[in-house]
Amino acid sequence: MEKLSDAQLSALFANLSKGCEKQYKPEEAGLLKTLSDYYREKSGTLPGTLGDVEALVRSDLAAYASAHETAAAHGDRGALRALVWSEKVSKILSSLLSRFGKNPAAVPGGKNVYVCEICGFAYVGDDAPDICPVCKVPKFKIARVARR
Amino acid sequence: MPAVRNIRLCTKDCLCLYVCPTGATDTETGQIDAGKCLPGCRACVDACPSHAISLAPVSYPPPQQKTDEAAAALMKLAESKLSQARIAEGVAQSAGDADTRQIADAVAQSNRLMAEDLLREAGYLLPQSENVRALLQELLQQPQDADFPTDAAKRLLELL
Repeated sequence: MEKLSDAQLSALFANLSKGCEKQYKPEEAGLLKTLSDYYREKSGTLPGTLGDVEALVRSDLAAYASAHETAAAHGDRGALRALVWSEKVSKILSSLLSRFGKNPAAVPGGKNVYVCEICGFAYVGDDAPDICPVCKVPKFKIARVARR
Repeated sequence: MPAVRNIRLCTKDCLCLYVCPTGATDTETGQIDAGKCLPGCRACVDACPSHAISLAPVSYPPPQQKTDEAAAALMKLAESKLSQARIAEGVAQSAGDADTRQIADAVAQSNRLMAEDLLREAGYLLPQSENVRALLQELLQQPQDADFPTDAAKRLLELL
């Protein structure tokens, strides 16, 4: 197993913390959150623009086919599931960033912005969908992104 | 297996109060008192008309084994998602207008969630798994900065 980056450790511990919440283990959830916050602070931000993010999404989209193949070859259902969701979300982000890049007045354009807390599905509109179109979680897990 | 209540589903039908032999369901916290709950009793689970109570597993089966190749493919994508999140977070910090901040915030949140999900499927689904224990032990053995939360990592190894 290769060494995990600080950013990866942050995300990994954040997800394990949520897992402990689901298991009704608040102490463990809190400790994992402490580790996640430590690595998040340590990894910090990166320089760049939303155009740079758009270029990275495009390169990810080109990588999904081979990742799908690898997961399928190893019979890894969980990996295939995560890849299907994140490929769909990546396509949506790519489209959102492209629209914003061409005309920053077009999005959010006075509408609300939502992100699904389970799969990351992003949506611009007046109200969140009743279920997430990507992972099918009900609406209460789709959070409005605060305007600040 | 102690009973746990999903507050989102509970519609205060209160049949659990009626059937519980020990009064474990009678609390002010909304949760069931694990100290009083009789393991495996499940009287409240079967009585609840809202299906809001379930038995929390005491142990979990070992997760599906991951191959290094499949895990590496997921980790590579996760690292890219995290780079995108960190760029978007930097953009949100320095943006002069609310539209850019909102789009950058959404892009950052979305990418962090995707990264979490990909890493989860790379062998870190279950907090109690061997992979997680091995990771915590490795972090404790490596030289760390002075502000590394050593106590949190040690306590987790005791609890998980």
